Amino acid sequence: MNGLVATWLLTLRALRESVRQPANEAANAFIPLFFYVVTVGAVGSVAREAFGVADYKGFQLPVAVLQGAAGVASGAGLALTLDIQSGYFEKLALTSTPRLAIVLGRMLADAVKAVILGAGIVVLAVLYGSGFATGAAGVVVLLGATFGFALAYSGIGVAIALRTGSPQAAQAGFIIFFPLLFLAPTFAPVEVFAPWLEAVARVNPVTYILVGMRTLVTEGWDAAALARGGIAVLAVGAVTLTLTLLALRSRVRQ
Amino acid sequence: MLAIETTGLTKHFGPDIRAVDGIDLRVEEGEIFGFLGQNGSGKTTTVRMLTTLLRPTAGTARVAGVDVLANPGEVRRRVGVALQEVGLDELQTGRELLTLQGRLFGLAPREAKERAARLLEVVTLTEAADRPIRGYSGGMKRRLDLACALVHGPRVVFLDEPTTGLDPITREAVWQYVRELNREQGVTFFLTTQYLEEADRLADTVAIMDRGRVVAEGSPAALKAAIGSDVVTLAFAGEGEAARAAAALERFEGVQRVVRAEAEVAVYLPNGATAVAAIVRLLDDAGAPAESLMLKHPTLDDVFLRATGHHLEEGAPAAAAAPGRGGSR
Ligand SMILES: Nc1ncnc2c1ncn2[C@@H]1O[C@H](COP(=O)(O)OP(=O)(O)OP(=O)(O)O)[C@@H](O)[C@H]1O
Ligand SMILES: [Mg+2]
Repeated sequence: MNGLVATWLLTLRALRESVRQPANEAANAFIPLFFYVVTVGAVGSVAREAFGVADYKGFQLPVAVLQGAAGVASGAGLALTLDIQSGYFEKLALTSTPRLAIVLGRMLADAVKAVILGAGIVVLAVLYGSGFATGAAGVVVLLGATFGFALAYSGIGVAIALRTGSPQAAQAGFIIFFPLLFLAPTFAPVEVFAPWLEAVARVNPVTYILVGMRTLVTEGWDAAALARGGIAVLAVGAVTLTLTLLALRSRVRQ
Repeated sequence: MLAIETTGLTKHFGPDIRAVDGIDLRVEEGEIFGFLGQNGSGKTTTVRMLTTLLRPTAGTARVAGVDVLANPGEVRRRVGVALQEVGLDELQTGRELLTLQGRLFGLAPREAKERAARLLEVVTLTEAADRPIRGYSGGMKRRLDLACALVHGPRVVFLDEPTTGLDPITREAVWQYVRELNREQGVTFFLTTQYLEEADRLADTVAIMDRGRVVAEGSPAALKAAIGSDVVTLAFAGEGEAARAAAALERFEGVQRVVRAEAEVAVYLPNGATAVAAIVRLLDDAGAPAESLMLKHPTLDDVFLRATGHHLEEGAPAAAAAPGRGGSR
């Protein structure tokens, strides 16, 4: 079976699952929007005086998008453990489909969902009063980055799922990585960070992804920032995909 | 060409568990091969190795002409598998799942749809086809799982206890379909089972597994004939009596073999009918009178008992699986 077609069929299957369990996705959408509104409400009015950010709604927009993507991207790992427990994973593994397609289908579905959620967040944020400096083209780039980030990030849960087959472990492993989102210039620019936090943020790939996205919203086209963000996405993706491949190999041939 | 061929196929789980301990199988193309054995004898482990889900510890296996280690992808393309535990996604409908399965085996969209519709009919799930699998009964799930094994028209099909948990009517229907596929399309079946009747009725050849080894193999008729005698089954009040009786019977003229399983003794001898009276007297003299006595032609259970020293169905009396079927097939 052609691996690409198989991946797509399995992506569709995973998406159909979301449609049938809308509560999950509603929670995935609610959490980032909630934090967005609360953060903007708490800090927005002092952001200019405190750290020179004029459009704090725009400043927080990519945070919400990334947070949403990260939340959505926990889906693949968890769903995979359920497939493993139900035996359906083995049923799929017994077809002539490349086994990577089984895993990639799940991850791609998360990426697609993250883009849909991201688009929704952008629209709501703009209606709420956020600017978007680079316009429609910028939105497309931002959503492209969201796609890449969600794909890469879902690999963490997937690798753990394949290693352990345990939903709890997939969830726990995921929670451990969640702080990465906050060891970045999430609430304020790195320049105002305590030195230790700044040091951590500067080696955190999420920082570069976030800053790259943020320039699209609040500043305009910044090729260097976008390049750094793109490289960070690729780097995270390379690591998680490698882990996923190794975990897949150990899972399918015991 | 052989459909399945193994040499020294072995799977150890750690140093202590010899799940499969060097088995040599030869399954002809177009055969229904019954793989019999009690719980934990290594049936599933064998199936999992032959279907590329488990890597053998040692030995080789070719399935549908392809080496399972060298080319697992090609093996998967050629075989259909229904594992012991059903493996379904409860959120899909039966039709969706079956169609997807067909597509993943490389069928074109139309073909996958048609195959799914046809198979849903065969396993009598047409009515439930568009409902989520979550709401299926256990038997319905098993039937759908079975259909999944056949969706791509495989030449070799592995069924691991396919009828466990099915009601007698559905079981009969499954047997019917297996036989039909086998006769009309020459599909080879590798069928594990704990039901002697299933093996007896369906299989051209059976292999009996015991603790990871094949302890007897042949056609049911040949295996029964190899016992070459009648079986007199005796039940005693306790194991002590049974042991005493067994010792006495060992010396009885014409007896080929005596097997004791707890408070029961099976005596293999050529002309059971004429010997019964003498056996009863002998037991009385030995102070171990039998509580019941049954004379019959050998069944697969007798074959099993003789090969392994115990019954297949734990606690089942040797005669229980037998009435009316002695010498059938
Ligand atoms: N993954 C595993 N790890 C450790 N031991 C295992 C594993 N799988 C099977 N075994 C052991 O191998 C032996 C054979 O198991 P197997 O499942 O092949 O038996 P079976 O004949 O299919 O039994 P049943 O009739 O109960 O299905 C058993 O002792 C079992 O405990
Ligand atoms: Mg088994």
